[in-house]
Amino acid sequence: MEQMAKVAFGIYTLIILSGSILAVSAKSLVRAMVGLIATLLGVAGMYMLLNSPFLALMQILIYVGAVCVLIFFAIMLTRADAGGEEAASAPLRQNLLALLAVTTVGGILSWLLLTRPLITTGVPVEVAIEKLGLGLLGPYGLAFELISVVLLVSMAGAVLLAWERRNGK
Amino acid sequence: MPAELIRILIGLVAVAVSVGLIGLVMVWVERKVAGHVQRRPGPYEVGPYGLLQPLADALKLVGKQLFMPDNADPILFWLAPVLSFLPVLLLFLPLPLGDGLFTLDVNLGLLLILAFSGLAVLSLLLGGWASNNKYGLLGAARAVAQSVAYEIPLLLSVLAVAFVSGSLDLATVVKEQGTWPWNWNIMTQPLAFLIYIVSALGETNRAPFDLPEAESELTAGFHTEYSGMGFGLFFLAEYANMVVVCSVATVLFLGGWHGPVLPGPVWFVLKVSLLMLLLVFFRWTYPRVRFDQLLNINWKWLMPLAVANLMLTAFFVKLAQYAVVKM
Repeated sequence: MEQMAKVAFGIYTLIILSGSILAVSAKSLVRAMVGLIATLLGVAGMYMLLNSPFLALMQILIYVGAVCVLIFFAIMLTRADAGGEEAASAPLRQNLLALLAVTTVGGILSWLLLTRPLITTGVPVEVAIEKLGLGLLGPYGLAFELISVVLLVSMAGAVLLAWERRNGK
Repeated sequence: MPAELIRILIGLVAVAVSVGLIGLVMVWVERKVAGHVQRRPGPYEVGPYGLLQPLADALKLVGKQLFMPDNADPILFWLAPVLSFLPVLLLFLPLPLGDGLFTLDVNLGLLLILAFSGLAVLSLLLGGWASNNKYGLLGAARAVAQSVAYEIPLLLSVLAVAFVSGSLDLATVVKEQGTWPWNWNIMTQPLAFLIYIVSALGETNRAPFDLPEAESELTAGFHTEYSGMGFGLFFLAEYANMVVVCSVATVLFLGGWHGPVLPGPVWFVLKVSLLMLLLVFFRWTYPRVRFDQLLNINWKWLMPLAVANLMLTAFFVKLAQYAVVKM
């Protein structure tokens, strides 16, 4: 069984990595979205491996079933084709900044993981949905609400970006 | 090999075979009903009562050449029909046909079906977009707006039943209901049943809500450019989705395998077939709605009703718990 879990972990990691590489490197936006979908499905598989099927199914229901469909809607509204000006490769400065952003976040995260060993169990335990719900509304209520603020910020940011663009023209 | 794996393998083979058979039977039923509704006999040349007509149609589809339009995205174009059909096989696995008669024992069966049925929309979008055809793109655009809208009342009505049963496990939901029709969930949740059926029509793109493939406006919508089995897979997936939708309705509202005298699986198949027939009758009775009407029905009627129904259900469930504690 442990052997099978390791094989599954390898397959999911492969799916996540190749999906994310496709998502950032594809010229066509719809292909990039397919890469994103593969990544999200791979992450759902990881949740399954952690013995939390509820989280895995929610990941598929919300991210693959709803968020990606909305992204597709946005792609269709902008009619971005593979030959457009946005599809041209970014200047060197942008690439360097992107590399900096990736290494900063990745560096901090891996430093945290390496220096502060996590308390883990050998075999993951399945948490009942009731416990999950009570936890979200009880002890973790503040964190739960703060996540919704992040959503609000991103929405406000999208409106702000669209507004400035329209004023500029 | 572990027993569970063998069970899943057998289940998958059984599902694949029955999806093919159901597809053939449903094509015949649909054409016969359509014929008689329009006062003509329908297919009657091939086999007795035209029973072998769908088989001939299927052979024709398999034998046809697969075309792809110029400048279409080749990977996405062929990925779409496969992606529309594969998740369907998964949707059948948690359905309980009888007491203990299911393939996959998961305590989140309802959630599994809801999660993977979302992939169908995605395949439809990819197919419509990758065809490099304006009708395909228009069909895909309609499919997005429609499926995003109708998924919400569908989830809310299903959630109301989950509140009453206190479980997302399909077998548990069935066990909570009794043998006779007045013991079924449809008696306590009639509004949820109505909302479920209407939004299920919207989710499966069946007439009167078949806007993404409206023949008279968009040629064939998202599958305009597909020939042979590319089209065949979309077609088969549509019928398989219908079966899943009707099975879930049977499990949630109509008592699943419960029923007097006859054994459980017989009752299950009987109920599902009756619901399927109902959907076919809907298709040939009502004209297709306009797109603004389609969205108005959803946002102005189904959504508020579903939310109100859910809140009332939650209130009464809590009240019942409180009463039990008091006693």
